[in-house]
Amino acid sequence: MNAKSMATILAVTYGFIGILPLFLGGSSIMMRILTMILIWSVVASCWDLIMGYAGIFSFGQVAFYVIGAYSSAILSVSLNVPPIIAIFMAGGITAIIGVIIGLPCLKLAGPYIALVTFAFQLALEPFLKGPMGKAIGSGGSRGIISVPPINLFGMSLSSSELIPFFYFTLVLTLICSAVIVLILKSHWGTAFLALKDSEDFAASLGVSAFKYKLLVFGITSFITGLFGALYVHYVGILSTRMLSMEVFTVLLIMIVVGGIGQYPGVVLGAVFTVTVNELLRPMGIYRLLIMGGLVVVVVLLLPDGVTGLIKKFTDYRQAKKESRVSIEKHESSV
Amino acid sequence: MFIEIIEIIISGLLNGSVYALMAIGLALVYGVTKAFNFAYGSFYTMGGYFAWILLVSLGVKGGYYVVFLTAIPFLFVVGYFLEKILISPLRKRDDWQMKAMMLTLGLSLFLDIGYIAAFGPNLKSLPDIVEGTLALGPFVFMKQDIVIFILSITGLLCFAWLLNNTRVGMAVQAVAQNPVGAQIVGIPKERVFAATFAISTILVGVGGILLSQKNFVNPQASTGIMIKAWVITAFGGMGSIKGSLYAALIIGMLEAFVGYYLGMIHIEIAVLTLLLITLAFRPQGLMGRE
Amino acid sequence: MILSIENLNAYYGQAHVLKDVSINVNEGEVVVMLGPNGHGKSTLLKSLCGMVDSKHGKILYKDQDIIKCSSEKIVNMGITYIAENRELFPYMSVMENLKLGAYSKNARKHEKKNLEKVFSLFPRLAERTKQYASTMSGGEAKMLAIARGLMSNADFLAIDEPALGLQPNLRLEVAKIIKEINKQGKTILVVEQNIPQITDLADKLYVLEEGHITFEGSKDDALSHDNLKEIFLGM
Repeated sequence: MNAKSMATILAVTYGFIGILPLFLGGSSIMMRILTMILIWSVVASCWDLIMGYAGIFSFGQVAFYVIGAYSSAILSVSLNVPPIIAIFMAGGITAIIGVIIGLPCLKLAGPYIALVTFAFQLALEPFLKGPMGKAIGSGGSRGIISVPPINLFGMSLSSSELIPFFYFTLVLTLICSAVIVLILKSHWGTAFLALKDSEDFAASLGVSAFKYKLLVFGITSFITGLFGALYVHYVGILSTRMLSMEVFTVLLIMIVVGGIGQYPGVVLGAVFTVTVNELLRPMGIYRLLIMGGLVVVVVLLLPDGVTGLIKKFTDYRQAKKESRVSIEKHESSV
Repeated sequence: MFIEIIEIIISGLLNGSVYALMAIGLALVYGVTKAFNFAYGSFYTMGGYFAWILLVSLGVKGGYYVVFLTAIPFLFVVGYFLEKILISPLRKRDDWQMKAMMLTLGLSLFLDIGYIAAFGPNLKSLPDIVEGTLALGPFVFMKQDIVIFILSITGLLCFAWLLNNTRVGMAVQAVAQNPVGAQIVGIPKERVFAATFAISTILVGVGGILLSQKNFVNPQASTGIMIKAWVITAFGGMGSIKGSLYAALIIGMLEAFVGYYLGMIHIEIAVLTLLLITLAFRPQGLMGRE
Repeated sequence: MILSIENLNAYYGQAHVLKDVSINVNEGEVVVMLGPNGHGKSTLLKSLCGMVDSKHGKILYKDQDIIKCSSEKIVNMGITYIAENRELFPYMSVMENLKLGAYSKNARKHEKKNLEKVFSLFPRLAERTKQYASTMSGGEAKMLAIARGLMSNADFLAIDEPALGLQPNLRLEVAKIIKEINKQGKTILVVEQNIPQITDLADKLYVLEEGHITFEGSKDDALSHDNLKEIFLGM
């Protein structure tokens, strides 16, 4: 897909979400859903960039999100850093940790990366709950209860001020999406495509797989951490429950439904998944059962997600059109 | 002090033997099919629930003999069709490994939540295989532990024998070493893939039965078990069965020592640190090839 | 006629590799298929042996259409593929490789007899039954690949570039062995670029270019054919 159509799809999707508060602004539930769609769409996009384009089997995305959230919460609660600064510092901290994890990881074969990053997520919970976590201010298993809201130009973007927070998130979402499109369409994006085809071939072109992968890992970690931080100042409380398999699976469904390596399909995946997740909430435990089953079914039946389906459909129409044209030509020549 | 250390070593050996049983199943599947099974831990829990249904819910006579005799064919069928229906269709695609990881992750959530939906969130306890203790000099053993140890070792030996001395075992090794070569000599590759999944499901499911009577049947145990088995396989060298064996013993020991001296909460961090350090120096793991 | 391929088309991803290929092989013949690298020779053998998924046309072996058969079924029917890059089991011994060669049901019954035959054909393998395949030299590995193919008790051998990358004296040896195997009653379809020692054995020649059969005939026909003469004399 070229940059123009990527940008168009993004502009239409986010533009549509962006005007919805005009009609739904009164409903706090709807506003929460819309805000969560924005946050998750960016986190899932970063994952798609890493997994679908850079070809890194990283399963640490939720961990980076949580690290961003904890960093910002600790900075603003324990060290009194203003939240608007803390969220960017949190992004920086997450990027540094991402690079530290990436350094040993990115030299490993695909499945090993999945394993180490996933194990990293699992080890994060005992760390945050344990004495080491408590020492840095994680609040142990109780978590952090009163995270202050972001204050922007004297306006408090707390959970009671849903609409300003939504638009603040929208602005950050648009900036980060632009960064992602730029990465995909830059020299780097081309390098990733080359790497995906053949690492040896790319190396012969002088593309250093390791350098690019590490850079992209750092940038996506920054964005993911930033949005984790944004989230924590929005909801005001934080615990290690964020590290559950549930969150991980929901994120997974977004890219499975959207199609891996089919950006911006993942943004549509996020819209779908967050909405379905909310709709299923009254079903209690069966919601997760359905979500798990959904991953299995979608991977089996729609391996390229909705994007693949749309592509198939347009290809089919294209082919039909062409055959019609050729028939017409044939007939006119007769 | 000395007795303490011996006791820790024994508990490490005990853990290690069951871990070995479970990790080897995973090493086998990866070595042969190159598929990453993230639902592996859910079959551990499945073994536990299977035993619970038979022994507690239905109260069948014959105890664990009946459990093992029925669980093994049951787990075989589950593993076989899991591969046939869910993994095998993916294999036609270039990026099937990633797709398989995602699918099995979804499956694992589905099964784990399914257990809670079917049996409730509470832990279930299984009757002990044997009760009582055995005193040997200054050491006191639970008879249960001894039985677990013996059964795990027997399982391992059976597995090793089957792999090296039967036609099917050789076919499995052939597919692991060269899938194209295996096809050339007429080994039904697809069936071998399914069979290895089935065997690994048996190994982890039996591990689940053995450990659940000590640690309860826990619907939330799967992720921890899965990651442990993965860490052991990666540490030992992905796909290397011998490597997994050593890795299981080393990690069993590490856990016993860390758990005793630093507290249980540090076990996961210690294991991860060991894995990261090992991979930093040997990216292919202890005994991995290439 | 033991093998008759009619209008075979095969695809490799998007690429249409074989285009309406038709060939005939009589029982007891050595048929040599020549052609430049990458023009579909290997794909033809692999299609015959059930190792290419997307294909259509007819492959009649002993009057039975086997185009939809799986590779294990085809091996069991008596066709065996000997790969150009050998495809041995690297961490297994010579003996284990040979025994796996007799994996199919049809081969199992004759394992002992075939093992004796193979060892008399390749005395060097008999001396090193315990050696790992990965530690063998290129020439030895090639011999092991052929030997493993013979263990399948096949009547029909599809051999992919047996002499590629070998020293001239080893090429001669391979050619001798192919001749010997043929004498023992096996039908052979061998694919080559243009190795005279192998071409010499041919009862019939085919040339495959860009997925099409462009020549069919005897050695003498080939020599009287201007374009082909160039190929043969240019070697």
